[in-house]
Amino acid sequence: MKDSAHRALSFGRISALTANTLTELTRLKVFYVLLLFALLLIGSSAFMARLSFQQEFQVLKDISLGAMSIFTSLLAIVATARMLPQDLEDRTIYTILAKPVARFEYLVGKLAGVLLLLLISTLLMALLFAAVLFAREYAALAEVTRQMSSAPSEQLHDAVQAVRNATFNPDLLPGISIIYLKACLLASLTLFISTFATTNIFTIVVTVFVYFIGHIQGTAREFWLQQNGGTALSRIFLGVVALVFPDLQLFDFADDVVAGASIPFTLFANAAGLGCFYTVLYLLLSTAVFSGREL
Amino acid sequence: MSEPAVAVTGLTKVFPVPLQRRSIVAVRDLNLRVDAGQVYGLLGPNGSGKSTTLKIILGLVSPTRGKTEIFGHDSSRVASRESVGFLPESPYFYKYLTAAETLRFYGKLCGMRGERLSARIDELLELVRLTEARNRRLRGFSKGMLQRIGLAQALAHEPQLVILDEPTAGVDPAGSREIRDLILDLKQRGITVLLSSHLLEQVQEVCDRVGILANGVLVREGTMTELLAVQNQTEVVLEGARPELLTQIAALATNAGARVIDQRTPQTTLEQLFLEATERSGDASR
Repeated sequence: MKDSAHRALSFGRISALTANTLTELTRLKVFYVLLLFALLLIGSSAFMARLSFQQEFQVLKDISLGAMSIFTSLLAIVATARMLPQDLEDRTIYTILAKPVARFEYLVGKLAGVLLLLLISTLLMALLFAAVLFAREYAALAEVTRQMSSAPSEQLHDAVQAVRNATFNPDLLPGISIIYLKACLLASLTLFISTFATTNIFTIVVTVFVYFIGHIQGTAREFWLQQNGGTALSRIFLGVVALVFPDLQLFDFADDVVAGASIPFTLFANAAGLGCFYTVLYLLLSTAVFSGREL
Repeated sequence: MSEPAVAVTGLTKVFPVPLQRRSIVAVRDLNLRVDAGQVYGLLGPNGSGKSTTLKIILGLVSPTRGKTEIFGHDSSRVASRESVGFLPESPYFYKYLTAAETLRFYGKLCGMRGERLSARIDELLELVRLTEARNRRLRGFSKGMLQRIGLAQALAHEPQLVILDEPTAGVDPAGSREIRDLILDLKQRGITVLLSSHLLEQVQEVCDRVGILANGVLVREGTMTELLAVQNQTEVVLEGARPELLTQIAALATNAGARVIDQRTPQTTLEQLFLEATERSGDASR
């Protein structure tokens, strides 16, 4: 037997599973979500032609970042929820785990496939968003130049600069990165729930439930501490709740980015760290549950 | 004595019934030994514990008690699967992959890469006679073709032991014959085969040794010859014998203190008749 040759963790096996998961998801036409996103953007920019350019860019960013956040989150939950139950139902999991593949490798490979899909989707949506933003900036600059053709050059320069400032701000990139990391966290959470769930619907419902708790838990925690004075017991309880349910409000940078506010590095690093921490935590919990599961 | 390919010792598996106090004993105190190079058939009706036993051997289900070993190694360890290939009952593979992509995927899971993997894919497709269908998606495969690609993936990494759970379930007689021929081919190559089935005639044709499970208990076990021989009886098949000769034989037997119990014309099997008829009309050619 080739026992001595066996490696407990193999990048080759994980990458085979990752590539297969990505192929599966793309051939299932999950990318149609992106088409919907494109239509939404194009439709909204036609509507915005009647607004001032500052309002237009603000609404465009608001809609685009909001749509990116919702679509990546939806994609993360829906794409992940079906993976494990489908493999179990079709018995393909038997053929995979009967090979020298550890259950941890199987889960890592599957999750990495979804994370790769989310990365490609986020990049494509970001590119589309940038293209629409550039197109609208180009149109706005042409309009300003035409309207101020008789104005002094300094005024024209200021007006052009105002359009440019309203279009891009450097915090768009960390904003989009955090949207991606939030989707990664949700994918990992969905994978964890699917390791003990019996149906896709159960997985999706529980994940959405945790998603909403995650969005209100920060506010609820503050309210609780104000009401109960922050005793040691309540702090421990809240600590446990905060550990199980991630504070998803920390990932909502969109409003600040749209308003043009600068995102402090510590805030970004905190959210990014939290996203990575929970993604790994849920993956480890998934492995713990899945390792003991009878197939 | 050489290391057995599979050794099962005191294996018991109890499944608790959710929300109830009772539990189901799927396998009870099972002891089994499959020697290297053997074709071993695990027989039994539905629910007798065949699939559970195979899943425990493959580490897909954990035993309640007892242990299972593959070539002397604890089979719950992932490393033991380096030498095992498995075809589950009625498998569905990824329908969006072609036959070649499917084998490439499983080959990579076994650590194969590059030219070695490409050559092995060609070899396997040739072995299961799917070379023509190498670029077809599995979505359009017949049941028999799926079983054959399943067998090919089980053999991807040239395992020393192949475990087949109901390999001919739902397959037509021609497809069933092909799978049987493949099993015999594996036997000739010295690969150990452990298969479960409730199609007794096929098991009889390919297996060296069988075990019969009923309600999770191994009720009979032995070689085909041991199990099927009717003690104290001898069968003689004659060609071109006239009735007078048969009368003489019966008299001789009586004189020697023996007795002719039955006298009949040997018959072919319905399966053999079906295969000959369909092959002649070209229906079985694919």
